[in-house]
Amino acid sequence: MTDVSTIAETPRTAKSTVAGTPRRRRRSARLSPLLAAFVLVPFAIESIWVFWPALQGFWFSLTRWDGQTPPEFIGVDNYVELAGDATFRGALVNTVIWLVLFGGLSVVGGFGMALLLQRDRRGVGFYRAALFTPVVFSLVVTALVWRVFYQPDGLADTILRAVGLEQLIRPWLADPQTALYAVILPALWRQIGYVMVLFLAGLKAIDPALHEAARMDGANAWQRLWYVVIPQLKGVNAVVLSVIVIDSLRSFDIVWSLTRGGPYHSSELLSTYMYSAAFQSLRLGYASAIAVVIFVLALAVILGYLVRAFREEA
Amino acid sequence: MRKGPFVTDFDPGRRRFLGHLGLAGLGAIGAGSLLSACASSASGPSTGDASGAVTIQSNLSSPQAKTAIEKLVESFNKQGKGTASVNTIASETFRTQLPTYLTSANPPDLYTWYAGSVANDYASKGLLLDVSDVWQGLTEYPQSVKTLSTDASGKQVFVPMTNYWWGFFYRKSNFAKWGVQEPKTWTEFLALCETLKGKGVPPIGIGLGDTPWVASAWFDYLNIRVNGAPFHRELLAGKQRFDDPKVKAVFTRWREVLPYFDPKGKAYPFQEATTALLAGKTGMFLIGTFFADAAPKDALGDLDFFRFPIIDPAVPVAEEAPTDGFFASAKTRNATGTKDLLRYFASVEAQEEYVKSSSGIVLPVHPKAKAADSPLVAKGKAMLDSAAELTQFFNRDSTDALQPTADTALTKFIDKPDQIDAILREWQASAEKVFKG
Repeated sequence: MTDVSTIAETPRTAKSTVAGTPRRRRRSARLSPLLAAFVLVPFAIESIWVFWPALQGFWFSLTRWDGQTPPEFIGVDNYVELAGDATFRGALVNTVIWLVLFGGLSVVGGFGMALLLQRDRRGVGFYRAALFTPVVFSLVVTALVWRVFYQPDGLADTILRAVGLEQLIRPWLADPQTALYAVILPALWRQIGYVMVLFLAGLKAIDPALHEAARMDGANAWQRLWYVVIPQLKGVNAVVLSVIVIDSLRSFDIVWSLTRGGPYHSSELLSTYMYSAAFQSLRLGYASAIAVVIFVLALAVILGYLVRAFREEA
Repeated sequence: MRKGPFVTDFDPGRRRFLGHLGLAGLGAIGAGSLLSACASSASGPSTGDASGAVTIQSNLSSPQAKTAIEKLVESFNKQGKGTASVNTIASETFRTQLPTYLTSANPPDLYTWYAGSVANDYASKGLLLDVSDVWQGLTEYPQSVKTLSTDASGKQVFVPMTNYWWGFFYRKSNFAKWGVQEPKTWTEFLALCETLKGKGVPPIGIGLGDTPWVASAWFDYLNIRVNGAPFHRELLAGKQRFDDPKVKAVFTRWREVLPYFDPKGKAYPFQEATTALLAGKTGMFLIGTFFADAAPKDALGDLDFFRFPIIDPAVPVAEEAPTDGFFASAKTRNATGTKDLLRYFASVEAQEEYVKSSSGIVLPVHPKAKAADSPLVAKGKAMLDSAAELTQFFNRDSTDALQPTADTALTKFIDKPDQIDAILREWQASAEKVFKG
C-alpha cells in the first residue's frame, strides 16, 4: 500500500524541517519575514474563521436569540436551564456512551485490523482497501445504505429470520432501546478503517531490528506486542486519541441522517441537540450554551492528555 | 537497545505535531459554536439586482409538483412582464433553513410557504414584504382566505395559490375485497378497525420514521373533534395548556385505536407508508393529499377517502385545509417584479395550469379556478365547503418551532401510552420554552 507509507513518511520529513529550521534561526536573533508570514497569515485567517466566531459563540450563550431579532442579554440563564434540562442530561449520557463505545471499539478494532494486516501477504492490499473504503464514502451515503439495511423487512431482518432469530426483530432505528446502538454501528464501520490506517503507519515505522532483538531474547508473540510494539506506538496513540475524542464529540451527520436524535431524544447527542435547539426550535442562545459545553468537554479531555504527555517528556 | 536515527528525530517533532493537532481539534469543535455565527452573518444565496430575475425558493420537491411550478414560471417568463427562476430545495431542508434565508443579507425574493400563524410569525419580525396592493386586485377571494393572509398589524403578507385536505385514504378495490364501508362515527371506525385486524391487515397505516410530524394530524383531528377548533387554536397559540385534562381526553380517544396502528409505521417515512397502503399492506392512512405525489398514476383512480369520523356530534365539524402559497422577503431588491409574479400566481389561469400539471389532488384557492375534474377532488372540495371551521395543520396554526415538541410528545405517546401524564407535562414545559423564545 503506497498511501500508507506516504502517510507514515510525510509527517516525519515535515516535522524534521519544522523542528530544525527555527533552532538555526533563533541564534541569529532576527525573525525572518518568511517565517513571520508563515505564523501570522494562518493566525489572521484562524482569527477570522475560528477564534472570533468561537468567542461570539460564548457571547451568544449568554443571550436569548431567535436568529431574527437582535440577541438579548440574559446572563447565565441558559446554563441554569441546561442544568435542569432532562433532554440535555440524556444527550450528555448518550455522548459519553458514544465516546466509550465508538472511541473504544474503533481503537480496539482498528488496532486489531492493523496487526492482522501489517504483514505483506498475498491479497492483503485488497483487505486493507476494503476496510478503508467506508472512510471514502460520504457519511450521508453511508447513512442511506444503513437505512436500507435497518428498514422493516430489510437486510438485517432478513438475516435474523434466516437464522431463526425473528423474535429479536424490531424497528431498529425507531426503538428507543436500540436506536443509539444502531447508529453507533455504521459510525464504527467507518471509523475502524481510518484508525487502522493510522496504526498501520505507526507499525510500519517500528524498527524491525527491535523485533529481531526481542525474538533473540526469547520473547513470545504476546510479550513482543506488549513490551515492544505498544510502547513504540506512543506517538501514534496520542494522535489516535485526539482524533477519536474530536470525532466522537462532533459526530453529527450519521446520527442526524439516520434518526435525527429520535425517537423522542433517545439517540440524541450533544451535537444533534445543539443543532435542533438552534435550527428547529430557533433558540440560538441556548444552542450556543450547548456548544460551549461541548467545547469545554473536548478541551478537558485533550488538555488532560497533553499535560500528561508533556510531563512525561519533560 | 539500538536507537534508530529516526526515533530520536521523532520526539521533538511529535510534540509540535501533537500541539498542532490539538489546536486543529479545538478548531473543529469550535466550529460547533460557529454555527450560531453562521446564522447571524450573511450567507444566503445571492439574488439579482432590481431589474434581474425574481428568485423563487421552492420546497415543492416531489417530481410532479416541481415540474408544475417550473412550468408555471416558464409561462410567466413568456408573458414578458419579467423573468423568474425557481430554486427547488428538499422540503425538510427548506423548513429548517427558512429563517436563515429570510434573515440573510441578500435573500431570495419569493418563498413557497404557508398562510396563517406561521406567516404572521415572520411578519411580526419585519421579515416579510407587504403585499396589500396585490390583494387590492384579488377582490374575488373569500374573506376567510384574506384573513389567513393578513398579519397581526392588518396588512397582507401572503398570497395563496392552492389548498388541500386531509382524510383517511384507502383503495376502493381493497375495501370492496374486504367487504367494508366508510365509517361515519367513531364507533363505526372502531368496528372497521376490528374487522380489518380480523382479516390480518394492519388497519391504520402511519409513517413516523423521518417524518414524525405526520402524527400531528392525529392530534389535530382528535382535538378538533373532541374539544373543537377554537380550543385547538388557543392551545397552539399558547393560551391553553398541554397538560389540561381536555388535552388528556384527546389521548384517551387515541389510545382506543393505538392497537390498530401498523407497527412498522414507526420505522418508515410517510412515502413508504403510502407504498404500503397502495400494496394493500395497510387498510387506511390518515394523510394529506400531497401523498399522492409519491403514488403511481394508475393507482390514483382507485383511491378514495373518508372524513375523520365524528366523535362528539355537538362539536361543530372542522377540517384541516392547509393553504399553500407564497410570501416575499422584505429585503427583496425587486419588489415590483415580485408583486407581478404574485399577481400571476393568484390568477385563474395560473392556478388552473398548476393544478393540471401537479398530481391534481390540490384545490385552487381562486374561487373561479376549476379544480381537476375527478370524483375524488369533487368530494374533497365538498368536504371543505361543508365544514363549519377550517384549521390548517399543527405547525401552520402555531409555529415551526413548536412542531418538534409535538413530534417528541406524540411519538413517545405511541410507544409508551401509559406515561401520558408525564408526556403532557414535558410537552407543556418544552412548549413554554418555545413561546418564551
